[in-house]
Amino acid sequence: MAEEENQFEEFEQIDFLKDRHVRFFQRTLQVLPERYASLETTRLSILFFALSGLDVLDALEVVDSKVMIEWIYSQQVLPTQDKSNLNRGGFRGSAHIGIPYSTKGPGVLHPYDSGHVAMTYTGLCSLLILGDDLSRVNKEAVLAGLKVLQIEDGSFYAVPEGSENDIRFIYCAASICYMLDDWSGMDTQKAIEYIRGSLSYDNAFGQGAGRESHGGWTYCAIASLCLMGRLDEALSPRELNRIRRWCIMRQQSGFHGRPNKPVDTCYSFWVGATLELLDVFQFTHFEKNRSFILSTQDRLVGGFAKWPDSHPDPLHAYLGLCGLSLIGEPDLRKVHPALNITQRAFQHLQQLQQTWRDNAGSCVGRQ
Amino acid sequence: HGRVKVKTTAQQEEEKRKEREKKLKVYVAARDRKDGVFDDEALQLTQQLLSANPDFATLWNYRREILTHLEDEDEAQKIYEAELSFLESCLKVNPKSYGSWHHRGWVSARLPRPDWARELRLCDRCLSLDDRNHCWDYRRMVVKMSSVPVKQELEFTDRLIGSNFSNYSSWHYRSTLLPLLHPGSPEPPPSRCDGDPPHSCSPPSPQTHFHRVCEEQLLKYELVQNAFFTDPNDQSAWFYYRWLLGREREEMISCAYVSREQERVAVAFSRPVNAQSGSLLLVLDGQPQRVEWRSVHPHFKHSPVWICDLPPGTISDIANEHNLTVHWTEKHTHRDCALYTRSESWCRDTATDLELFSELSVEKTSVLQSELQSVNQLQELEPLNKCLLTIILLMRALDPLGYEKETLAHFQTLKQEVDSMRSAYYSDLCSKFMIENTILKMEYAEVRVFSISDRQNLTTLCHLDQLLLVTHINLSSNQLRRLPPQFAMLQCLEVVEADNNSIENLEGVYHLPKLEEVSLKNNISTLADLQPLASCPKLRRLDLRGNPVTQTANVESELAELLPSVADLLL
Repeated sequence: MAEEENQFEEFEQIDFLKDRHVRFFQRTLQVLPERYASLETTRLSILFFALSGLDVLDALEVVDSKVMIEWIYSQQVLPTQDKSNLNRGGFRGSAHIGIPYSTKGPGVLHPYDSGHVAMTYTGLCSLLILGDDLSRVNKEAVLAGLKVLQIEDGSFYAVPEGSENDIRFIYCAASICYMLDDWSGMDTQKAIEYIRGSLSYDNAFGQGAGRESHGGWTYCAIASLCLMGRLDEALSPRELNRIRRWCIMRQQSGFHGRPNKPVDTCYSFWVGATLELLDVFQFTHFEKNRSFILSTQDRLVGGFAKWPDSHPDPLHAYLGLCGLSLIGEPDLRKVHPALNITQRAFQHLQQLQQTWRDNAGSCVGRQ
Repeated sequence: HGRVKVKTTAQQEEEKRKEREKKLKVYVAARDRKDGVFDDEALQLTQQLLSANPDFATLWNYRREILTHLEDEDEAQKIYEAELSFLESCLKVNPKSYGSWHHRGWVSARLPRPDWARELRLCDRCLSLDDRNHCWDYRRMVVKMSSVPVKQELEFTDRLIGSNFSNYSSWHYRSTLLPLLHPGSPEPPPSRCDGDPPHSCSPPSPQTHFHRVCEEQLLKYELVQNAFFTDPNDQSAWFYYRWLLGREREEMISCAYVSREQERVAVAFSRPVNAQSGSLLLVLDGQPQRVEWRSVHPHFKHSPVWICDLPPGTISDIANEHNLTVHWTEKHTHRDCALYTRSESWCRDTATDLELFSELSVEKTSVLQSELQSVNQLQELEPLNKCLLTIILLMRALDPLGYEKETLAHFQTLKQEVDSMRSAYYSDLCSKFMIENTILKMEYAEVRVFSISDRQNLTTLCHLDQLLLVTHINLSSNQLRRLPPQFAMLQCLEVVEADNNSIENLEGVYHLPKLEEVSLKNNISTLADLQPLASCPKLRRLDLRGNPVTQTANVESELAELLPSVADLLL
């Protein structure tokens, strides 16, 4: 398929409608349309898109942080009195199972209650964005709940009863361990083997071994390796160069996720951030990328859609902003490419981690 | 996520759903397995809820729990088949639901009397509607469980590709099938150093396995070539093609260098490693030596070059010969270095020997020649064509120095006409290839001088791990902005010429033990930038004319303090 040149759009100065996007996320936080009902089980991740989106827009003041923080903590699976449910720890997507509202322990034992690895990841991110100090996160339970999700081949389930397993959940696990500064929740060596096994013939990553290369899974692979600090160990310079090439070739105007697929706003982040982590984002064409992302902007309702002339949704609204942030759009906060939160939230995390280390050290040698 | 929703009586549906959820909560809490009727109702309820939301993982698990308890084989067959029909209706509504596909896989695997032919037909139907998605994974499982012959699946990909060359997923599936046809184990590579036993191989990754290919496979190229001539801008076939021809580099110690007067050993690897993990062992005259390995620059925990100092007096007796061996225990490989009565010794494989830089396999030179011919023909028919990159790679595999002019010309065409969007990337790639060519020229000339200046437009430095033995380097008149930390791998460097660049960072000029002369005319260095130079003990001549630093107050006394060994300072 020949690359299409939309000449008149090429260098058009399209307006970035910041206020509309703020209102879009505000509405997301208030009420979601009926068609989102099927996403009830993953509600916390939608909260993350809205909160992080507002953070990138430097507009968090419109959020009632206190209320949000309490709601997030109410999704934490709290240990029971006898701690028999530790290996079900983590955060739920929402209260759909019917556990009574509670933000402090002890928890209630329920046969189908457990954390979901992607909800734990987005839950922790959301707390950091809201400035919480994670002091009410039960690390023991979260890490125990994480450990049981990893299987023989190194990949992770999403929930302890089992689900599909693939590289997405490795990324969630690596992010959780990174944020909590504690890698006991996963076997990183096994995870690295699974990641390497997912490297496809054309030098990008599939969801798992033998599966097709894809921009989203490539992001999960590279970001996980970066968070673990093992990028140069896991991949040879030649492999890294080939991965860079495959990723650079994903830009058509914006980015697509796989060859011969249409461009889609969210890949401006998935592939863009991967290129940033691999130190070659500066070789992409910023103007064309920007033009495409803004062509998916909804001028009335705010937010971004995956394609022009489609309905916007929180995921694409958030990732569109992140894509613009990567190219240095003014008025947007910078995003940490591996952790997918703003640098501001990341600095908050670093300060917290320093405090944790200091406290651990201060037990010894007190005068 | 991009789905088009039809608005029905939305509010009514929502109310019904809420009611069902309430009921389900009651059953879930009770969780009584003994009552069969109870199970039926639970299955009914979860079915209705899952039709509206197939991504409610807990409910699929709940159903699996119920289904697991069925004992009678006939009853199980009936109920599992009903489950499959239910799943089909779910998939019709949402063919991308992970929950549905996962559950279908689970049910199919447990069905007492599975109908794999039907499952394959389902895959065919799904793929005809959307040929890029989840169904491929399910198909792989079905093929495996029912032992569909690989040849049959290959024919399937032939049909798909024949009707649509752009189907990248089909090419991908094909790439996983071909190695199954030709499993055979790879032979160990031939020995490189005289008298050494062959290096053993670590198990190949899925990509490298295929490269020990037999002649029949070349027939596949025809299919690929047909794809190019039909639509040369389609990326699918090009990536597949480069994979067929490609190769991976083996892991080894590429060079061991010993300076007897400094009593120091430097080792270069084929890739960055962490030698501090204890995997590197030094043996002198049969005796293991207690040494501490360090990377060339504190920035790198992983580095292609590592250094250690031998205990004083061990090899400084230049009148005597010694035998030194470096063992890379992790990869079961080693390199010997005989120490003659000279102040320095080394043992290495040259870049020319290993066809180091070629990304494509040179084993089939005649094949590559004919491929280059075909691709050139295509390029003549359609000059503005992305196959230029493949042409460049083919040329580099066949004769990098011989095709240098054409390569540079093709890069210009790519940058200016064919794919100007990626011109920054192509500049970077071109810099890399020019450095590779310079290394090759240097080795053919058997000199230790690396010179790449004037008209070369170098924007970046790479392959610095190949320059361990270089004594003189000339990088003048390029577009470099820094000598990065990796530059510290040039442990034998005596003279650096880097005039007329835009250098403002000298981090890599770090503890270079033999460095005597540095020329940095017309760059943009300031006093702070020059800090790393203080780490080079033998530095005696420094040319800084045309730099902002010359305008600093008291520059001469500042530099005298920073770099006391420099007697010859030009400002």
